Amino acid sequence: MSALDRRSLFRVLGVGAGCVAFSEADRARAAALEAAPSTLGPGLGSSSTLKWDKAPCRFCGTGCGVEVATEAGKVVAVRGDEKSPVNKGLLCVKGYHLPAILYGADRLLYPQLRQSDGTLKRISWDEALELIASKYREALDTNGPESVAVYGSGQWTVFDGYAALKWVKGGLRSNHLDPNARLCMASAVTGFLTQFQSDEPMGCYEDLELADDVVLWGANMAEMHPVLFSRILESKRARPTVRIVDIATRRTPSSEYADLYVELRPGSDLALANGILHLLVKNGKLAQSFIDQNCVYKRGIEDLDAIGYGCYGEQAERYTFVDEPKDSNFEEFQRFLEDYTPQKVSEISGVSVAQLELLAALYGDSKRKTLSLWCMGVNQHTRGTWMNNLITNLHLVTGKIARPGNNPFSLTGQPSACGTVREVGTLSNRLPADMVVTNPEHRAKAEKIWKLPEGTIPSKPGHHAVDMFRAFQRGELACLWIQTTNPWVSLPNLHRYQRKPGDGKFLIVSEVYPTPTTDQADLILPSALWVEREGVFGNSERRTQQWNKLVDPPGEAREDAWQIVEVAKRMGMGHLFPWEGDWHEPMFEEYRSFTLGVGKDLASYAQLKTTRGLLWPVVDGKETRYRYAGGHDPYVAKGRDVHFYKAKGYGERAAIWLRPSHPPAEVPDAEYPLWLCTGRVLEHWHTGSLTRRVRQLHQAMPRSYVELNRADASALGVKSGDLVRLKTRRGAMEFEARIDGRGQPPRGSVFVPFFDESLLINELTLDAMDNISKEPDYKKCAVRVERVERGA
Amino acid sequence: MRAALSLAAFALLAACTGESSSGEGVAVPGRAGALKSSASVRAARRLYDGAPPTIPHPPLGAACTQCHNSRGMHVEGLGFAPPSPHEETHGMSTFSRCNQCHVHALEGGEFVANSFAGLAQDLRRGERLYDGAPPVMPHGMLMRENCSACHDGPAAREEVRCSHPERARCEQCHIPSVDDSSFTRP
Repeated sequence: MSALDRRSLFRVLGVGAGCVAFSEADRARAAALEAAPSTLGPGLGSSSTLKWDKAPCRFCGTGCGVEVATEAGKVVAVRGDEKSPVNKGLLCVKGYHLPAILYGADRLLYPQLRQSDGTLKRISWDEALELIASKYREALDTNGPESVAVYGSGQWTVFDGYAALKWVKGGLRSNHLDPNARLCMASAVTGFLTQFQSDEPMGCYEDLELADDVVLWGANMAEMHPVLFSRILESKRARPTVRIVDIATRRTPSSEYADLYVELRPGSDLALANGILHLLVKNGKLAQSFIDQNCVYKRGIEDLDAIGYGCYGEQAERYTFVDEPKDSNFEEFQRFLEDYTPQKVSEISGVSVAQLELLAALYGDSKRKTLSLWCMGVNQHTRGTWMNNLITNLHLVTGKIARPGNNPFSLTGQPSACGTVREVGTLSNRLPADMVVTNPEHRAKAEKIWKLPEGTIPSKPGHHAVDMFRAFQRGELACLWIQTTNPWVSLPNLHRYQRKPGDGKFLIVSEVYPTPTTDQADLILPSALWVEREGVFGNSERRTQQWNKLVDPPGEAREDAWQIVEVAKRMGMGHLFPWEGDWHEPMFEEYRSFTLGVGKDLASYAQLKTTRGLLWPVVDGKETRYRYAGGHDPYVAKGRDVHFYKAKGYGERAAIWLRPSHPPAEVPDAEYPLWLCTGRVLEHWHTGSLTRRVRQLHQAMPRSYVELNRADASALGVKSGDLVRLKTRRGAMEFEARIDGRGQPPRGSVFVPFFDESLLINELTLDAMDNISKEPDYKKCAVRVERVERGA
Repeated sequence: MRAALSLAAFALLAACTGESSSGEGVAVPGRAGALKSSASVRAARRLYDGAPPTIPHPPLGAACTQCHNSRGMHVEGLGFAPPSPHEETHGMSTFSRCNQCHVHALEGGEFVANSFAGLAQDLRRGERLYDGAPPVMPHGMLMRENCSACHDGPAAREEVRCSHPERARCEQCHIPSVDDSSFTRP
């Protein structure tokens, strides 16, 4: 293949020509490329000792393919994998700087036990594992399964998550297993489950090129999913008729590329989406025959007082609200929407009636394909499930769903939020492949596959993430094991969770670097990171990606799954992990048996090893790019264009939900007059424990700051670079002010990134939660900003 | 445009004369420096060979491509802004988001030291079939579509400077070597 071919392929794969954006010819060329041994050529560092292998990137949920160069037992470079259908050779700045995350000087190398004077003492793995086993055993014997918990991660590999799930639910007989993904995409899970009775999107990244209109709902993709944003920009380059719409509460780098920027007030997205639905009904833009054949109507509890926010009164200790769905119908839906007139929605949201009509025209245009994308703005929301429902409603009522280019698509922030959390089911109420602990048949299936006696798995859901830490704080959990995550930076309202010395509880943290979370730990275990171990991740588009161990971990670091398996064996639960020798493949194949035949079918381990990942369901070795779509998904009944076959409880139809607009949990007032929104930045990934150890990334973004609107700043007499004090009802902290930087919050609001462990903005945030997903809202609370006199 | 440029030039001058907090201690090379743009300067700005270089000057408030266009730009008295090796695109594209891959070194120091030793720069020359034959490209083409960015002009290192940039169709004679294998009949 000539250079020119490859160059144009890079572009063409991204966009395709004309309306048929991804032609069969392109696909054939992509397949040829996949089969080719190497395309970048030996030129770039082609010494004979250098070895290049595939792996997914360790950072976000995009799941870019990287090729990793190793030499003399060390990773020395990465390059974007041209064979990966995800990124086609491109990476972002984090991805390019990925190899250095392995080599920070303060890598944790040995198990360390905290002594009574607070210092850490190196112990052996044997001592550490025996200690964990005895602590868990003691807790089980004394207070039962209610007193033990594991807090996991969307950065766990499938192995780590599966081992934890099997050990906690099948061994400890507890459901107190929940992941950090509860803080980031739980609302998308409950969104998809309430509408399709099966989690995860129907579309795939190819939609980015096939859509005519790309609508971002509160997602700053240019910084958070840069490679996917590049695909959108390339699509627009090839087809100038493509339009990008950015619906946001803050002007971001993504807004710069938008054809239409819709700025709305925090929390008014529910009203906006209902306003669009109102206009679609009024203007006769409903795809009535599609709805009649494929949809049902549902509504749940809507009373604000009954629902609450999970942070006031009794709910501030335990938030256990359960929605009660009931049937609805088209007439009720119409009546419900009557309230959301353009004028009223405009008043609530600050969005002009003209823009509202534009949005309705866009969703209502049956000739143009529409892709809706969302991430934290919608998910970290006190009514995040509702907002997920409303965005998907826009696609259901217009029939713009489960067709190439026409889909609602939730983006994820962690590399295996989908693969490990959502598919393995490492949530307090879940089991693998869409199953739940509350369903006796599901428990029975798991017990059968796991060869456990009937009734082993408890039926009561365990603590969700925030309640797990509240319970730990109350002293109800004797043992808590945290792996691959940093909750003492990422939990909201962090002040609550500072441990008292000698609280008698046992906190284990498996990590790669010291963090504010290891500072809280009684026992610190050193973990293997990324290509220091074998793994499988699942990305946002249902792509399962496998990689091999390429280098040895430093010191005595071991993979998280091994740590769990070894503790289980020491607790007499070795029967859960019966495999001799290398257990990776047999463990995966056992997990895979949950997925076969139920529309969640994963590829075999052997097939995953030789491909750049496959989109499930994989049937007869073939991936499925569009779920529920006739001609794509083998589970769809013959002759059907669209078939929501997973929604057995709704008669194999998708649910259109009636969801009202509710105000946020805390709104600005005279004392705290501004909105505080928190989030991420391009250079750092989440709590920064990995990216801050890379000099280039640290130097580009050395510390956190607060973005102010110019008008608010001048009213306070603050210039860019001045120090300001942010005060909320939870605490106060000083930040450097930035005005008209990369993000520009509208008047009356401020934005703070959360990566900086020395400026813990989460000490100021509110622990209000979504009523259904229990995901906290990090985007909306009230704050006061004061100028700080230098040297004062 | 002129006003924006002179503002940019002023900020660049500050960067060059060390009046800013610019990062790695690698000065932006002046005209003389650029002619000898050394391998060590190149290496200092990359985590490993193949990583996108960091930006050695502070943000200048102008679009990157105003100076770093397909030909580069000489700013009198200051130095040469090297051209972009990426394919020149009009309108928005992957390459309109420069900061997606290239970040400023805004200040010095480290959060924690790091012992990563990246792939060293590959200074091999392209293989020639015989003396006088055109060398093959010893590297891939992805995001290196503009050959003259590195092989021509003031920013080109002497070792790889092309003697005949006027023959604009580089790939007519220089082809990339994409594979180590030999041809065998199927």
